[in-house]
Amino acid sequence: MIFGMWDSIFFRLGPIPVDHLVVTQWAVVALLGSIAFFATRNMQMVPRGLQNGFELIITFTYDFFTQVMDEEHIAKKWAPLLSTFFLFIICSNYSGLIPGAAEIGGFQPPTSNWNVTMTLAVITLLSVHYAGFSEHGAHYLGHFISPNPAFLPLNLLEEIAHPLSLTVRLFGNIFGEEMIIAYLLFMAPFLVPTALMGLSVMLGAIQAVVFTLLSASYIAAATSAGH
Amino acid sequence: MKRNKWIYLSGLLLSLIMVMGFVALCMASEGGGPIAAPAGKPPAFGNLYVIGWSAVNFFVLLAMLYKFAFNPINAMLEQRTNTIESSIKHAEELKVEVEQMRKEAQANLIESRKEAQETVARATKAAEDTKNDIVAKAKEEVDNMKLRAKTEIESATEQAKVELRDTAATLAMMAAEKVLGRAITEADHQKMVKEFVNEAGDLLC
Repeated sequence: MIFGMWDSIFFRLGPIPVDHLVVTQWAVVALLGSIAFFATRNMQMVPRGLQNGFELIITFTYDFFTQVMDEEHIAKKWAPLLSTFFLFIICSNYSGLIPGAAEIGGFQPPTSNWNVTMTLAVITLLSVHYAGFSEHGAHYLGHFISPNPAFLPLNLLEEIAHPLSLTVRLFGNIFGEEMIIAYLLFMAPFLVPTALMGLSVMLGAIQAVVFTLLSASYIAAATSAGH
Repeated sequence: MKRNKWIYLSGLLLSLIMVMGFVALCMASEGGGPIAAPAGKPPAFGNLYVIGWSAVNFFVLLAMLYKFAFNPINAMLEQRTNTIESSIKHAEELKVEVEQMRKEAQANLIESRKEAQETVARATKAAEDTKNDIVAKAKEEVDNMKLRAKTEIESATEQAKVELRDTAATLAMMAAEKVLGRAITEADHQKMVKEFVNEAGDLLC
């Protein structure tokens, strides 16, 4: 057993195996769902406390995605998905930094596993094409042979490269960070890993922003007037 | 001062992380024996169960956030926007109304002032007229009174003169009778009276 690096089945739900990182995802979903529920349980015209915080996040993401995507209606349409990406990824990244997380059964940062990051990247890929088709209809297919039909292989490669880069970037950063912290805890357990853990807080936020921002830019590119 | 506060807080947080990390380390040593170097293999790629669970978890989270965060907050934001817009609109309407009322009040004030000035002018004119009337009437009355008094004085003077003449004549006659010692005839009488009256009248008047 090593720190946060379980890659095994935690328990079985009937015939379906449940891994440690799936349990952590449940915790993340439960945490975010509970906060959202309690924040909006008693909505007030003048926001206070949790409602204020959640409204701040929502309005900030709307403004942020509107700036990234240029088109306000597209930003509003896709902001919930992108905000969910951000919240899910940042909570997943930070789940590995909870003190003693490595010793809690069923606890492993989900984003340190590339099956999870790939799933998120595939959701982005599907969203991008759905956004493109819903905005441009069949004309969207034209961008595969743009500017010339000879570019079809390159365009297809690009379509594969996008989710692949999203997958590998997020997985690589979080997995690497977890591994480095684990090694440092082994080599110099006191004081030394603290600095890296502080860096990991920043890294977790940056990776969440990068994934969300790239997803937003892919959707923006698919829905832009150029297609 | 504020900077110091942040420095203390950061120090406290860092110490807390260190202590908790140390506790975690101790727990790891007790539970799993001596700490071993991480030697696990990288997570297996293409685990369909993990992929499926991740997709399900993500969409459950998306649905929960839609239900509990995005929809209510969007509705609240929209409601707030409408409230603010209607408040601004209402405030604009009130402003126009107040401006109109102010103009009306101003106009009314000017009108009232003008009316008051006219009323004062009318009252002043009426008072002046009344005063002139009263003065004229008083003057007329005084003139009449003076005239009457003059007439009365004149008539009283005339009457006094007549009475004085009569008395003087009677006295003269009595005196003449005494002097002459005889009765005076009518002719003498008339003659003497005339002479006396004339002389006395000249003296008296």
